[in-house]
Amino acid sequence: MSTALAAAASPLLPKLAHAEAAAPTKLKGNINHSACRWCYKGVKLEDLCAAGKEMGLVALDLLGPGEFETVKKYGLVCSMVSNPTIDGLGGIGKAWNRVEHHDKLVTAYEKQLQATADAGFERLICFSGNRAGLDDQKGLENCAEGLKRILPLAEKLKVTLCMELLNSKRNHKDYQCDHVAWGAELVKRLGSERFKLLYDIYHMQIMDGDICDTIKENHQYFGHYHTGGVPGRAEIDETQELHWPRIMQAIVATGFKGYVAQEFIPKRPDPIASLRQAVQICDI
Amino acid sequence: MNRRNFLKTATLTAAAPMVLSSAFTTRVAAEEALAIKLKGNINHCSCRGVFGKIPFDEACAIGKKLGLKGIDLIAPSDFETLKKHGLVCSMVSNPLVDGLGGIAKSFNRVEHHDKLVPAYEQRIKETADAGFERIICLSGNRDGLDDAKGLENCAIGLKRILPIAEKLKVTVCMELLNSKHTHKDYQCDHVAWGVELVKRISSERFKLLYDIFHMQIMDGDVCDTIKENHQYFDHYHTAGVPGRHEIDDSQELNYPPIMRAIVATGYKGYVAQEFNPVNPDRIASLRQAIQICDV
Repeated sequence: MSTALAAAASPLLPKLAHAEAAAPTKLKGNINHSACRWCYKGVKLEDLCAAGKEMGLVALDLLGPGEFETVKKYGLVCSMVSNPTIDGLGGIGKAWNRVEHHDKLVTAYEKQLQATADAGFERLICFSGNRAGLDDQKGLENCAEGLKRILPLAEKLKVTLCMELLNSKRNHKDYQCDHVAWGAELVKRLGSERFKLLYDIYHMQIMDGDICDTIKENHQYFGHYHTGGVPGRAEIDETQELHWPRIMQAIVATGFKGYVAQEFIPKRPDPIASLRQAVQICDI
Repeated sequence: MNRRNFLKTATLTAAAPMVLSSAFTTRVAAEEALAIKLKGNINHCSCRGVFGKIPFDEACAIGKKLGLKGIDLIAPSDFETLKKHGLVCSMVSNPLVDGLGGIAKSFNRVEHHDKLVPAYEQRIKETADAGFERIICLSGNRDGLDDAKGLENCAIGLKRILPIAEKLKVTVCMELLNSKHTHKDYQCDHVAWGVELVKRISSERFKLLYDIFHMQIMDGDVCDTIKENHQYFDHYHTAGVPGRHEIDDSQELNYPPIMRAIVATGYKGYVAQEFNPVNPDRIASLRQAIQICDV
């Protein structure tokens, strides 16, 4: 009571509150917080690193080797390195599910794996590509065939390739790695500690739902997590349908030691404030 | 209530057992505490099961106090009790005949139709006689039957009861259930299948019961599914995912935006709570669920 009274009476309060906000945020240490760089296009990488560090991020996702030095300077890591692209291949639409892409992708991925390991980073993203008429069984076989060519190097360098699960219902029509069951089958097929899935909670809420139990039952196939509000991919706050603290508890309960990266597109005017709020929501 | 009045009331309540029966005061205090000021955008209901072993008459009294408009999954024998309390049966339970009509064995097999049709005709009539408007139906389990054939069979059987449903203005609602955890092999387990059946039957008196718990397990994408498919839905059920318990922050769904998505479709029907409370005080859990869903 006396504290409340003193605070109410003190003209110093606004100043104090401001000073507290500027100090690095105290987080609980159960979740390693990261954020996807591309969601803050209007913010310089240096500024995002500084703001991220202050709010408790330990990493950023989806950076290329040219950006590694900047994150390191701020004491952050790149928790998920961007895919290489070569002659229009390697991105979401055209990647590992077609044998005719493999020769080019293998060369590009070997280089990116090396750059990842040289920087001391541990995860590199990859995609299935779109179906474009290819059935799911054949797409799975092709992905396995191509990825097996780069896994020896990934294993040697201790870099985990993570194929992202994306929704094909709204944002990435026809993308092949669009259900946990398909992705988990590919992980089993490859049978390497260096190939896992990037379980994007936003995308998989759109395709599969059942988030907590899916994590509980399939976490051994997941090497990384992304977030995003459903529907709309905006802030993960009270305006959308998922209750994130419970989902984070499900992740922590699996013993996960990797990163959870925010990947929502801020709708409110201050993107950094939205990111800070998301980190706090997920800090359980 | 200001602090002084509160103290006065508290003192009176504490002193009351000396002059009144303690059961009476407990009941009065409990009922006073139940009333919730509701916004009127959602017509709140609850399935009978949420009340557990509380006798039905008492459950109705409590439900009324909580602001419920109705109770789901009640058979005609209990209609009078509901009415006495000013409640409706927001979803009449399915009839059962020779082991048919429940979740596992129902409309997806042609050989069940001859028994199901008269049982449903009678139940539809009882529903209308009571002035109620919705009756539940189930697909039955696949049991080896493929989804296209199951759909065709459901359509054939349901078309036989729809003339009377249309005449009596009772909507037959097939429930969507999860076949992953709770009801293995149940056929009406994805929105897409159910929607196809509604389109095939094409009657204003056949819709789906979209159970948010079950469909979060099978399909996810709750708000957009409601936005895009509400014309095929005529009733909603809730529960926490995973576990089917309270719909509070112990589970993965954030119910208020889901309720706003329902309101945004212009929905005038009922939202019925259908969870198994973990809290031994079931009524406190039901009250909390109503508050969470009152947007």
